[in-house]
Amino acid sequence: MAKLMALAGKDLRVLFADKGNVFWVFGFPTLFALLFGAIYAGAEKGPSGLEVAVVDEDQSELSGLYVTHLQSEAALKVLALDREPALTRVRKGQVAAAVVLRPGFGEGFSTFFDANDPKLQIASDPGRKMEAAYLEGLLAKTQFEVLTQRFRDRQWMRGQMDTWRSQIKSTGGLLAADTNVYLRLFDSLDSFLQDVNDRTYAGGLGNGMLNVARLDVQREYRGPRTPFQITFPQAILWAILSCAATFAISIVRERTTGTYQRLCVGPISQAHILAGKGLACLATCVVVIALLILLGRLIFRVPIESPLLFAAGALCTCLCFVGLMMLVSTLGKTEQSVGGAAWASLMVMAMLGGAMVPLAFMPGSMRSISHISPVKWGILAMEGGIWRHFSPAEMLLPCGLLLVLAVAFFALGVLMLRRAQL
Amino acid sequence: MATIVVEQLCKRFGEVVAVDGVSFAIGRGEIFGLLGPNGAGKTTTINMLCGLLRPDGGTVTLDGRTDPTHPAVRAVLGVAPQSIALYDELTAQGNLEFFGRIAGLAGRRLKERVAACLDIAGLAQRRKDRLSTFSGGMKRRLNLAGALLHEPAILLFDEPTAGVDPQSRNLIFDTILRLKAEGRTILYTTHYMEEAQRLCDRVAILDHGKILDIDTIENLIGRHGGVSHVEAELSQVPDDLPALAARLAAEGLGLEGNTLRFQTREPARSLAALNQCELHYRALKVDTANLEDVFLNLTGRRLRD
Repeated sequence: MAKLMALAGKDLRVLFADKGNVFWVFGFPTLFALLFGAIYAGAEKGPSGLEVAVVDEDQSELSGLYVTHLQSEAALKVLALDREPALTRVRKGQVAAAVVLRPGFGEGFSTFFDANDPKLQIASDPGRKMEAAYLEGLLAKTQFEVLTQRFRDRQWMRGQMDTWRSQIKSTGGLLAADTNVYLRLFDSLDSFLQDVNDRTYAGGLGNGMLNVARLDVQREYRGPRTPFQITFPQAILWAILSCAATFAISIVRERTTGTYQRLCVGPISQAHILAGKGLACLATCVVVIALLILLGRLIFRVPIESPLLFAAGALCTCLCFVGLMMLVSTLGKTEQSVGGAAWASLMVMAMLGGAMVPLAFMPGSMRSISHISPVKWGILAMEGGIWRHFSPAEMLLPCGLLLVLAVAFFALGVLMLRRAQL
Repeated sequence: MATIVVEQLCKRFGEVVAVDGVSFAIGRGEIFGLLGPNGAGKTTTINMLCGLLRPDGGTVTLDGRTDPTHPAVRAVLGVAPQSIALYDELTAQGNLEFFGRIAGLAGRRLKERVAACLDIAGLAQRRKDRLSTFSGGMKRRLNLAGALLHEPAILLFDEPTAGVDPQSRNLIFDTILRLKAEGRTILYTTHYMEEAQRLCDRVAILDHGKILDIDTIENLIGRHGGVSHVEAELSQVPDDLPALAARLAAEGLGLEGNTLRFQTREPARSLAALNQCELHYRALKVDTANLEDVFLNLTGRRLRD
């Protein structure tokens, strides 16, 4: 153990002898983590402030009402423009999309049979399809809100009954029996609108079916919640990856300077040497995580529901990636090749594991593939302690997998070192 | 009893045979030189001795224990590698403390040994300075001192004077001779014949992975060095040249004016005989054979070809 500590202590002293390394090991992961935290925090709320140009070519009462509803939508930043400037802004990537309310848009709300061209057009940036899809949902929601507001106006509705009755009678394509069915329906509705009291009418036309409430899967928590609570595991994981990649090149550096050979001729095994390096890397990861937690607690008020389980999850994640990096460090012969291999393998794992693009946005096949990435299990293990409120039994799967991988990576690393040596 | 025993050691890298049936034994308190040009197999042999390489054939026994790939067997070894294997980011003291801990030292014993080794390296005054501020010679001395921390019974020095200044070289030589006097067993590889001649009790001439001969330097020169050339300017010309030639064990003895010239295979004996002849000489020039000649005669090449 004394030799292990000596190895780890030496690695830390060598690492921190260069002040630049202090930034790359502590500063950079912290900034990286905070940046990712901020990005994911924004993503978790949805694309807030999505900039959209709106062109009102209809200039009707209902189109005006529609634009007002859009402008009140918190997730949008609406710019009222003419058609050409709006489309130019989309082309230049200055807004995500342009929404054009064509002439006749307002009439469309009061037309029972509308076979005309679409009155709502969207021009979206081809590179921002996800935001365009999000916008389409918001537009449909706004359309429904405007319609609901109109339906609540009893006098307007009764006027509509007259309009629709006239339209039915003047429409030539319907069978006489069908025409009668519609006319009876409108008569009944008109009679209902005349007789119903205001309270019953207002209550019956609520939008309860589309009034979506979020069901929180986080179990009961007494303290405050922040989006960082959800995004913190990703942030910590990036910090671990950054630390591990920094340490990956230390073995190959020792090989090129000859100190590795000197260690190997001492009364110490390759497993000891690798474990010493792993211990230094692990200690650094733990310090970085502690730093992030401190920042998270003090600045972002991130609550951790189960500190013990979080610590277990974070430790297992660290061990797994330290093991992985120890293996990667034995595979190359130059610092450049090992550094490249380390980041390449980590990036692929991060992409597959949901540390770059959330798993929810991935196709089903990719979500299945994500099971092979330790990043996924690392995030899950830490989430278990932060907000998923995992029981110790539920933590066993992610933590167990991470530990098995850690041992496997480390054993393979030692094997590779021995093979390369002898 | 031999401290290092190497028997029929073989190592092959693909098609290249780096070491081919090397055998030798080194006794306690002996400095044994492995002499050969670059690529002769010296470093490969050393690497097998210290467990860095596993031999394809043969055995290595260190202080009675075989297979130095086991860490415990290597505990008797101190190795000063050919390249400077120290951490530039640490101080001289920091480097020695680290390697001392790896060797199993701790506490007061570690402090004492680090201080002693800094003294040996002549770097006690610079112990707090980072290695990156040291000259090549200072680093080389510290590199050697790192092998002495745990006072090992066996020391392997792989070209320890490569690229050092004369002052550092002399300090290293003095250190090695002092270690020999303490009874340590030293294996010394070099391609500098002057070093081998100055330090080694016995030398193995290695070429293309094979040992061509092993013996004391005197015996090697006697066997393979060829003749030494002696030239003496006499104040009085001798009368009986054939008798003188026999007495001096000289070959091709001739006289040109007052200058006597001859070749001998035993220069020390010839010069002693010359002194006993009561022939007064004003000048004497002896061109003796050396290990370079031994190597040339054994391989047909020079050591540094």
